[in-house]
Amino acid sequence: MISGSTKQWRAQRHRIACWTATAVAACGGPSADGSDNPDPAGSSPSVALLTSGPVSDAGWHAGAYEGLQRIGDSLGWRISHQQTRTPAEFDEAFISYAEAGYGLVFGHGFEYQDAAERAAAQYPDATFVVSSGSRAAANLVPLIFRLEEAAYLAGMAAGGVSRAGVVGMVGGVEIPPAKGTFLAFGAGVAAVNPEATVLETFTGSWDDVAAAKEAASAQLRRGADVLIHNVDAASFGVFQAVREAREQRGRAWAFGMNRDQNAVAPEVVVGSAVIDIPALFLQAAVAWHEGSLRGAPRAGLASGAVDFVPNPALADVVPADVEARIAQARRDIASGALEVPRIRYLEEDTLPAASPVQPPPN
Amino acid sequence: MADVGVFASFLAAAAGLAIPLALAALGETVSERAGVINIGLEGSVIWGALGGAMAGLAAGPYAGLAGGAIAGTAAALLFGLFAVGLNTNQIITGTAVTIGSLGFTGAVFQSRFGATGLALELKTVPSWKLPLLSEVPLLGPVLFDRAPTFYVVYLLAPALWWFLFRTRWGLALRSVGEAPDAAHAAGIGVIRTRMLAVLFGGFMAGLAGAHLCLVHTGTFSENMSAGKGFIAVAVVVLGRWNPPGVLAAACFFGAAEALQYVLQAANADLPYPLFLALPYVLSLAALAGWFGRSRAPATLALPWPR
Repeated sequence: MISGSTKQWRAQRHRIACWTATAVAACGGPSADGSDNPDPAGSSPSVALLTSGPVSDAGWHAGAYEGLQRIGDSLGWRISHQQTRTPAEFDEAFISYAEAGYGLVFGHGFEYQDAAERAAAQYPDATFVVSSGSRAAANLVPLIFRLEEAAYLAGMAAGGVSRAGVVGMVGGVEIPPAKGTFLAFGAGVAAVNPEATVLETFTGSWDDVAAAKEAASAQLRRGADVLIHNVDAASFGVFQAVREAREQRGRAWAFGMNRDQNAVAPEVVVGSAVIDIPALFLQAAVAWHEGSLRGAPRAGLASGAVDFVPNPALADVVPADVEARIAQARRDIASGALEVPRIRYLEEDTLPAASPVQPPPN
Repeated sequence: MADVGVFASFLAAAAGLAIPLALAALGETVSERAGVINIGLEGSVIWGALGGAMAGLAAGPYAGLAGGAIAGTAAALLFGLFAVGLNTNQIITGTAVTIGSLGFTGAVFQSRFGATGLALELKTVPSWKLPLLSEVPLLGPVLFDRAPTFYVVYLLAPALWWFLFRTRWGLALRSVGEAPDAAHAAGIGVIRTRMLAVLFGGFMAGLAGAHLCLVHTGTFSENMSAGKGFIAVAVVVLGRWNPPGVLAAACFFGAAEALQYVLQAANADLPYPLFLALPYVLSLAALAGWFGRSRAPATLALPWPR
């Protein structure tokens, strides 16, 4: 626990140090602490994480940060985290970590693909993992989360919860992984209520709470009574819009995404489509250390690393018959009998030919 | 009926999105009239949001608004000490304040509330329902049954116009932006005037940030300023450095953003990013002088004494 908070403080101190040195220079360098440089010949591997938004989003980025912490805590490895905002910063951060001897660098999101690819070509000794990445190489590993499978189950629940027959989805940037979760969510809604209308809005920002709230409110005023999001910190705005709509119109619910957000807004979040990012990051790190991290590891419902997690406090909101159908669908998806619609953004032809596609990690 | 519903939804969203822009842009108008362009406005907005959230948690929503305004002023003070006091480049200093503020507020938030975050539930500022005006159909509930920050904007736009163009102090402030040497010769304290104008800009931007937390969303997250400080600078250009024009421009930006959400929620198959781009295109057109003569204060962004 103490070591965890120390690392946390180190990350913060890094940001503060960045701030003091900000005037012109971008904040490069994996660590503000000069003595922190890993010894390339040393025994303890070094792992770094890049996120494009704040890790205090209680969602997508928070999960990755927890994963990094878990690698540090349970393996005792050196860890470092940086928030990078622009594609130019992506490149710079990958390069500075590789230069500093970090052997494994996670870029947490589809947006890191291009920069990771350039860094992987330049630094063959380091391994770059891109969450929801689209292309692979010998030292470039896309980590595929089949979040669609959980989003489909969440959609079934939403279809059962909605009385208005209108369900809304609020997204950040229109990238294939995000569109895929909405595609599956909509299919899940339709599976339970074929008459339902599904609204879709992208705000263009993962963090803009005000924008997400307005987008959510616009959907709620259009008659939606159940919303799901695929944004990061902006999700707080979606939950807040649902709370207000409930005060004004009486009935409104939300679903969480990426991480178990049932406790983030416990009275409105019926359930969450969850990726166990911490466990998957830890598995990837161990596999990397053993030399078996290659191809494009995929995690779906079958592995248990992706799932729809109902909020126990609101267990009676979802009708019992829908709950039974969700349980059946979960089994069917895991067994392969039910194929959830998805957007295939992974370019399979880039997978290294010598290495067969890995089975889903367990 | 459905159309009225869509229209009312649009108006509500437009007003909600315009007010924080208007607050920040009205402050920036005064600052730019004095010859200082403060790109660090974005930093003041995020400090205002964090200050507003923390003061709001400790002492209630009205104290939160005050705390946000003070936090925004503090960020502007940092900018002013360098850009006005030491004559550093205004654009670079403002960029530094913004980047630093985004990082620093994140560090403060994480050390106070945990690294992986939680959705703060802030008590919001209640609406003040104005008698009669709030009864006006359609517009009444949208404009006159709102939090006091809305009324600050309605009152401040004409008041600032009167101040800038009808008072001695306003004339002095504008002369500092147009011809600081002449103003100095006339006995006006150029540095002091610029500093006060910058602090007022920071105060208003901080209020805008507190509004985001305590009126608009009822929560705080890192980066929630989301470029609103930068957009406010564009709003000032489109409003041609004239407070009522700036208010109109803020409404226009708010309306364009609201339109895309309402259109998307209505499942209208329109290229919504175009609507988002429109205000910026018009700002460029305003800068190019397409809407009559529009001139920035003559010494905008220039140090003094040179």
